[in-house]
Amino acid sequence: MCLRSSSYTSPKPCKHLADYKLRHAFNGYDSLQNCLKTTPIGRTRVDNHNTKIPRCNFCNGYQGRLYICLMCSSISCSTHILLHTQSKSGHDVAIDIERSELYCCLCCDQVYDPDFDKVVVSEQIKGLCPGRSNKRRRLDSGMELDLKKSKRLIAMRDGRAKSCYPLGLRGLNNLGNTCFMNSVLQALLHAPPLRNYFLSDHHNRDECKRRYGEKLCLLCEIGALVSAMFSGDRSPYSPAQFLYSWWQHSSNLASYEEQDAHEFFISVLDGIHEKESKVRNSSKDDGDCQCIAHRAFSGSLRSDVTCTICGFTSTTYDPCVDISLNLDTVNLSAAEKTGLSTLSGCLNLFTRAERLGSDSKLHCQNCQELRDTSKQLSISRLPLVLCLHIKRFEHSLIRKTSRKIDQYLQFPFALDMTPYLSSSIVRSRFGNRIFAFECENSDSSAEYEIFAVIAHSGMLESGHYVTYLHVNNQWYKCDDAWICEVDEGIVRASQCYMLFYVQKLLYYKANKDLSCNASVESR
Amino acid sequence: MSGPNEDNNTQLSSHIFGDLLDSIIVDVASECHRIAKLGLDRNLEEEEEEMRLSAQARARVADPSNSSETNTKYVVDIFGQTHPSVATEIFECMNCGRSIAAGRFAPHLEKCMGKGRKARLKVTRSSTAAQNRYSRGSPVSTYSPYSNSTSTNRLSNGTPSVAGEEYSNGTYEEPWNKT
Repeated sequence: MCLRSSSYTSPKPCKHLADYKLRHAFNGYDSLQNCLKTTPIGRTRVDNHNTKIPRCNFCNGYQGRLYICLMCSSISCSTHILLHTQSKSGHDVAIDIERSELYCCLCCDQVYDPDFDKVVVSEQIKGLCPGRSNKRRRLDSGMELDLKKSKRLIAMRDGRAKSCYPLGLRGLNNLGNTCFMNSVLQALLHAPPLRNYFLSDHHNRDECKRRYGEKLCLLCEIGALVSAMFSGDRSPYSPAQFLYSWWQHSSNLASYEEQDAHEFFISVLDGIHEKESKVRNSSKDDGDCQCIAHRAFSGSLRSDVTCTICGFTSTTYDPCVDISLNLDTVNLSAAEKTGLSTLSGCLNLFTRAERLGSDSKLHCQNCQELRDTSKQLSISRLPLVLCLHIKRFEHSLIRKTSRKIDQYLQFPFALDMTPYLSSSIVRSRFGNRIFAFECENSDSSAEYEIFAVIAHSGMLESGHYVTYLHVNNQWYKCDDAWICEVDEGIVRASQCYMLFYVQKLLYYKANKDLSCNASVESR
Repeated sequence: MSGPNEDNNTQLSSHIFGDLLDSIIVDVASECHRIAKLGLDRNLEEEEEEMRLSAQARARVADPSNSSETNTKYVVDIFGQTHPSVATEIFECMNCGRSIAAGRFAPHLEKCMGKGRKARLKVTRSSTAAQNRYSRGSPVSTYSPYSNSTSTNRLSNGTPSVAGEEYSNGTYEEPWNKT
């Protein structure tokens, strides 16, 4: 296990703990190691084999919190622990028997030491059976997408309007129930990695036609769209060619009727990926795929299935291009729904350890039997662009109907995904010990900024999508052909359906490039 | 009727319960103490600020005296342009060459390409060729174990008022039954 700096702070030891460590180093910890016992749910206690029931040396009591002295292994209750320190000099540090936490008797507070946590965690890991599946993928984010080149390709700025609006803002004509498509396109075309990729001409349309000759290439279509959006022409654009191409690609979705924006989003990414994998003639799995769709959106989810009897955990990884979240109040009765539904609540629900029902027992490799299990999801690798899809759909098995959940969902503009990372989830399973777990991924940042919101209004079968875009510190509402400026409050109060966040560093870089005052050259 | 034994039992059980409860409370306190000391707790101030801004925004929107967000259709956009509710830009259909108004393009294309419910009955050469060439099943969609990105979780869009003649109310299939 390598020692790496982690996202939490290692607290400074109190004077007494520091003294103890100077004098005794790890002797106390090591001798204690044999007495540590871990339960399958991850709780570690000190089990002194000598006595049956630990009792306080002073009062013989066994209730409340009991501490075992690191120096002499005598046990005291919380009332008498101070007496012990006073009676024996140098016996300042003890351990909470039930929880294996260090306690400084003179500071009268719980204290923390990475070396002690290391001992505890080693014991915890030993207690669980070895041989967990460990499909670890090291992934390169490959963020640099030639921003300099994209600057050169930005067209002359539009001097017509009184104030200068950012390039790329352009309405999209509704071709007949196509607001689902328009809303997703607005979000995609303003996703920094995609926008930069197409603006820097990474997919050259002439070359593509020359080389592959195919009439249909979704990448070419998107490239054409990006050019049109950033051309400086502000009259609404009709994405007819794109619709035609997309219908040829996703023929099962090709029809003039109500469509779902999220389904369209997945379909477009699919189309981009397909073309790319055809071109490279490779069948790389999604974690390593270098198509722009995956480079921008691909992340990895980790699933841990734990046996509730022995604690053995089996881990698998799956790639994802977005995360679909259930609303966090969806299971509450009508009366309880007075609470506010929040994005962090949904994410907590998503990463919550869930006990699978007894009717779905799984075979535990360690126990060699069918056992009750608990499953927990976490994010092992975050994407550059994080797309969160809110499942506003409720299906009633009784009435065999489905309805849309209009419940308001609070979402932040700045999002910190750290608590939902595998490193955080796994660490909390081990009691948040100070330890460099194998799944630590301190390469990429977990801080995101929002740049687009797709909101839905209306009923399930007949509603309307709009996209709110955040460009250069101003929010714009993209409602088909109409682009308007809106106050951020309107966006916060909207009924979000899909949220698009981009990693913070990329966000600030991207906004700098797009400012109207950037020097421009025509293509 | 309660004898001395039952009194003892009641006392004993509430005593045990009290002990267990105390232990659980200390568990939580210990865990929170550790989280706080190690700086693992999320930035609560920032979160609270986001919540406050959201609440404020909702209150403003709900207030009828505020000039609420008007229906953006039929207004002037930021570039000073107005647009009709149904797009009138004319262009050539890339499938058949006819001139079509933008707002009616999708229903036209559906019939023109032989897609859609009514047209699906006639299997044309072009649509089968298209289906064979671009068969679905690429890795991008295998994410489905975690999400119901298939038909069971879709929000449709569609405004019956902006429709071609072939759009019929009330007889369309429920979207989630589509394969």
